[in-house]
Amino acid sequence: MSISVLDALRPAKKPALLGLVVVVGLFVGAWVHGKYFSDRSPIQPIEFSHRIHATDNEIPCQHCHIYADRTPVAGVPSVSKCMGCHNSVPSVRESPEILKLATYWENREPIPWIKVYDVPDYVHFTHKRHIKAGLACQECHGPVETMDRITRVASMRMPWCVDCHTERNVEHGRDCWTCHK
Amino acid sequence: MAAIAGPAINKMSKISRRDLLQFIGAGGVGVAGGILYGEGVQRNVEFLIPQVVPPEDYSPGVATWYNTVCNQCSAGCGISVRIREGKAKKIEGNPVHPVSQGRLCARGQAGLNVLYNPDRIRTPLQNAAQRGSGNYAEISWDEALTTLGSRIGRLKIEGKAGRVRLLTGRTRGHLDELFAQFMGLLGSEHYQQYDFTYPAAIRAANRISFGVDQLPYYDIKHADFLLSFGADYLGTWLSPVHHSLAYGHLRQGRQGRRGKTVQIEPRMSLSGAAADEWIAARPGTEGLLALGIAHALVNAGNYLGSDRDEWSIALEAYSPSTVSAETDVSEESIVRLATEFSAPGTSLAIAGGATAAGTNAVASVVAVNALNYLAGNLGQRGGVIFNSDPAFSATAGSRQAGLRGMLDLVEAMEAGDVEVLLVHDTNPVYALPENVRFRRAMENVPLIVALSSFHDETTAMADFILPTNTYLESWGDDVPDPGVGFPVASISQPVVAKLYDTLAVGDIILLLARRIGGELPIRLHWATMEEFIKERWREEYELRSAAGEDQDFEAFWRASLEAGVWGQPGAATGDESVPSSSSMIASITDPVSKFAGSESDYPFVLHPYLTATFTDGRGANLPWLQELPDPMTSVVYGSWAELNPVTADELGIREGDILEVESPAGSIRVPALIFPAIRPGVIAIPIGQGHSAYGRYASDRGVNPIHIVATQVDDQSGDLAWAATRVRIKRTGERLRIIKTDGVTRTLGRQILGPKNDHA
Amino acid sequence: MSTIVEKLRQYSKPGYYDKFDYHWTMTIDLDRCTGCEACVVACQAENNLPIVGEERFAENREIKWIRIERYWEGEYPDIKMGFIPMLCQQCDDAPCETACPVYATYHNQDGLNTQIYNRCIGTRTCAVYCPYEVRYFNWFTYTWDEPLEQQLNPDVTVREKGVMEKCTFCIQRIRIAKDNAKDDNRRRVRDGEVVPACVQSCPTEALVFGNSNDPEAKVSKMMKSPRGYKVLEELHTTPSIVYLTKVQS
Repeated sequence: MSISVLDALRPAKKPALLGLVVVVGLFVGAWVHGKYFSDRSPIQPIEFSHRIHATDNEIPCQHCHIYADRTPVAGVPSVSKCMGCHNSVPSVRESPEILKLATYWENREPIPWIKVYDVPDYVHFTHKRHIKAGLACQECHGPVETMDRITRVASMRMPWCVDCHTERNVEHGRDCWTCHK
Repeated sequence: MAAIAGPAINKMSKISRRDLLQFIGAGGVGVAGGILYGEGVQRNVEFLIPQVVPPEDYSPGVATWYNTVCNQCSAGCGISVRIREGKAKKIEGNPVHPVSQGRLCARGQAGLNVLYNPDRIRTPLQNAAQRGSGNYAEISWDEALTTLGSRIGRLKIEGKAGRVRLLTGRTRGHLDELFAQFMGLLGSEHYQQYDFTYPAAIRAANRISFGVDQLPYYDIKHADFLLSFGADYLGTWLSPVHHSLAYGHLRQGRQGRRGKTVQIEPRMSLSGAAADEWIAARPGTEGLLALGIAHALVNAGNYLGSDRDEWSIALEAYSPSTVSAETDVSEESIVRLATEFSAPGTSLAIAGGATAAGTNAVASVVAVNALNYLAGNLGQRGGVIFNSDPAFSATAGSRQAGLRGMLDLVEAMEAGDVEVLLVHDTNPVYALPENVRFRRAMENVPLIVALSSFHDETTAMADFILPTNTYLESWGDDVPDPGVGFPVASISQPVVAKLYDTLAVGDIILLLARRIGGELPIRLHWATMEEFIKERWREEYELRSAAGEDQDFEAFWRASLEAGVWGQPGAATGDESVPSSSSMIASITDPVSKFAGSESDYPFVLHPYLTATFTDGRGANLPWLQELPDPMTSVVYGSWAELNPVTADELGIREGDILEVESPAGSIRVPALIFPAIRPGVIAIPIGQGHSAYGRYASDRGVNPIHIVATQVDDQSGDLAWAATRVRIKRTGERLRIIKTDGVTRTLGRQILGPKNDHA
Repeated sequence: MSTIVEKLRQYSKPGYYDKFDYHWTMTIDLDRCTGCEACVVACQAENNLPIVGEERFAENREIKWIRIERYWEGEYPDIKMGFIPMLCQQCDDAPCETACPVYATYHNQDGLNTQIYNRCIGTRTCAVYCPYEVRYFNWFTYTWDEPLEQQLNPDVTVREKGVMEKCTFCIQRIRIAKDNAKDDNRRRVRDGEVVPACVQSCPTEALVFGNSNDPEAKVSKMMKSPRGYKVLEELHTTPSIVYLTKVQS
């Protein structure tokens, strides 16, 4: 059977196969991009590991993301906050990644973390309401405490939001002006 | 796909080297395409930038409000500024401030356009070419201050400090004290202020009438009958936000009692539009009209004071019939106004605008004061309430130069008596008639230093421009003028970190004092303006806390900073005024304004008017105000000359015809606008546009009517009589489209203004 | 399709919105209004309205969510000026809502006429249908001269070319007030807790805003004034803005 198909293709065999290879290549490329180069899991300026902090050292999320239950923005810890702990952790002081942190601190420069979870500017999102509604961080952000490099687990697109609002029967959760500003 | 691809590859096991390379190439192209596609569809990389060290009162995504003082006019409203992530987002009235009570006008809210104006001066500048060419080179603060310090210091050593002059706008609070101390220690007595909108005639008239040198509190809020002679109290007069609050209350704030307002002015202003009755008396005769009303009031036996006979005699010449002929207001109206003014309930008469800007300005305002006196409105709720001495030893207004002072300054500059001129927050080249020749006189001054946030017509003549912080980036304090009937002082504090390499004007003076040397740095020992203000408030606090307050100063200071204002509501109001009938009577002998230009040569009266947006031109560089349709005409971005429809018809003038408006002092070209609420024979032109060097939003736009005003002085106040010029008009044949947002300005039977209201 | 029609029928039944917590309503007292336009600048600052430039004004393409209309009455010297602030009337039977092919504008449970920018495809039909002429179209993507953009309110979207916009009753402020109410475990926001920028700024207190489903709210009391009327009421748009006519003396 396969031979007959090939026979049918014979006049255009090589160009067709070449085209096929290109198409397969496209999928492979897109997958490789998504896996290794995309904003889903970008390489950060410092190889910060949530696993080491949250699992190995059992630091709760809101110890560093201090605004999550109080303001719309969860907040990334200030450089001074990082240094506050690391000054008293001599065991890793000489590790290359911590030295990077120390350099930022000495230069009084912020660390340019790359944003992984982002919503467009026309969306109003508030961490506070979601935390106060009893959601765990992991429900949207995945098992962050197991990740060495943070990887986005949700599409962050509107259907994803609306599905959850529908499932949980959020009051006026599907009114556009609940989330669009 | 695999079903096809699998056998195909088997079949092609004898693949040529050439084919292999082709397939590898194709695969490579595919993968690269896939990666590029992935890059293309993904969102731009955004960064999460943490704080290095977080400030104490900061939460991301949550606004903080800081209280300070508005500096967009001289009312001194308290404001609250909304800050998000270190940027100012919105200005609102400070709810606990007694002047603004949480409200704010258009101009005050446009203060953000001052702070974030793209045309701000960002570094110190030194003139690099011919004066006025606009060619400046950037220099460092150190360079600028050293040069200036040594120049001024040398003059001081040589005993020529009197050749240094300081000219500011309406500076109040302790900045004014700092200026005065600086000039005093330097040895120069030439610290003056010039503000076109300063109510010099009102103050002079109050001195004459009541023996108090201050602006009283006009209690519009509790008045039942408000008679305004030219004062656009809702738009530009003294304290518009506070008056608007009062107006709302006058109309609908009291159950079953609605106050009435009457406006007397040749061209309908915002207050005229709001009034129940709008009376276009002949320009320049408003004072006379007040005397006619006073005559009718006394004649009807509604004044029973002991000096009744004196007043009867003094007012004898102003019977309603005589006054009616002169003012073009009917006799019945005059008598009726007198009856309403003295009817039971509270009444209040106020004067301002063109009424207080004729050659008889003071006499007119005294006549209006006399009305308040005769109706028993002084010191009464709903009348004229005198303020106590301003709190915090703030000086108010005694340094205003007026036209007379400015003419003296011009003379001194022309005579070469001025070696250094320091200018701050005032623009006399714009806000004086061209005939005064301020700009030309400046050419004789060897060193001009401007302390300013913006380039304008005056700073264009400066050799050095020292960029100042805006009021939203500065420390200071203020005592509102007019006061609110009880002692009040406000603190202004920086609400954002300064944007550029600028300094607060007080800090510049302190730094300059150090460079000049001698006793200046010893006496002016404060490191910063903040320190100076705080020390003064401490002194004041200690003076007052003797009365048994138990707070310590730091707590008081923190509380005052948070509130933005300190006040003593309920504290005894004011020193008693001493109304003096004899001096009032002596001052009202000249009730009609004298116009420059004869009626035959110049048939029209020029009525320049202040607008609520630009005032004396200061607001013209703010884009929000340029784009705010004029309240009465809906015009944006430009100047126009208003004519009565009948006049326009007679002269065959249509909207947009460019007219040449010529006064004895000069001429301007401006498009005509047919305006239904203006007296025939009057041409009204708004003040504010016509800048030549005031940033991208203001420059080369419209005309400045102040420039063609004849230089006439009101003798009793020494101020410019800017509403006493006649003009003639000529059609140039050219046309310009006036840009306005209005369409049809009649309701055409639609019940837009309400069912009961429609008569059109 | 039929469910949509059914829904629309439901919406236009009188009293449909009474069962919800809120029916946002504004009263405007023309006897207090002086036409000073403080509200116009307040709205511009709060809602990121663009600075459009002189040319755009000449083409009538300015954007002002609230404007002051002026109507002359009579002739000199017996002439009067009537000011009336005009903004989206948040009609309960809004003509614009029936027009939108993509439901970018619809009525929500708070009695608000919404406008969803990212949904809008720019047909401009709604603007044609609106008898109050309070919908504004972005014919251009406007920019701010640096550093004026630092003033932009982060709580409000900056609109781009091709979308319609209009007054939202300051939805961002309503949202913050509701958020605070939830924090305090209150079912409803307090009267006076939500103040749109125009109402906040008004120096004569002519504008009052509140929830007319709450009979104790100030706005509910103001609405009952014998001076109250709605503009172009005869079109049965059922506006949520009640004007109080100026007293004629």
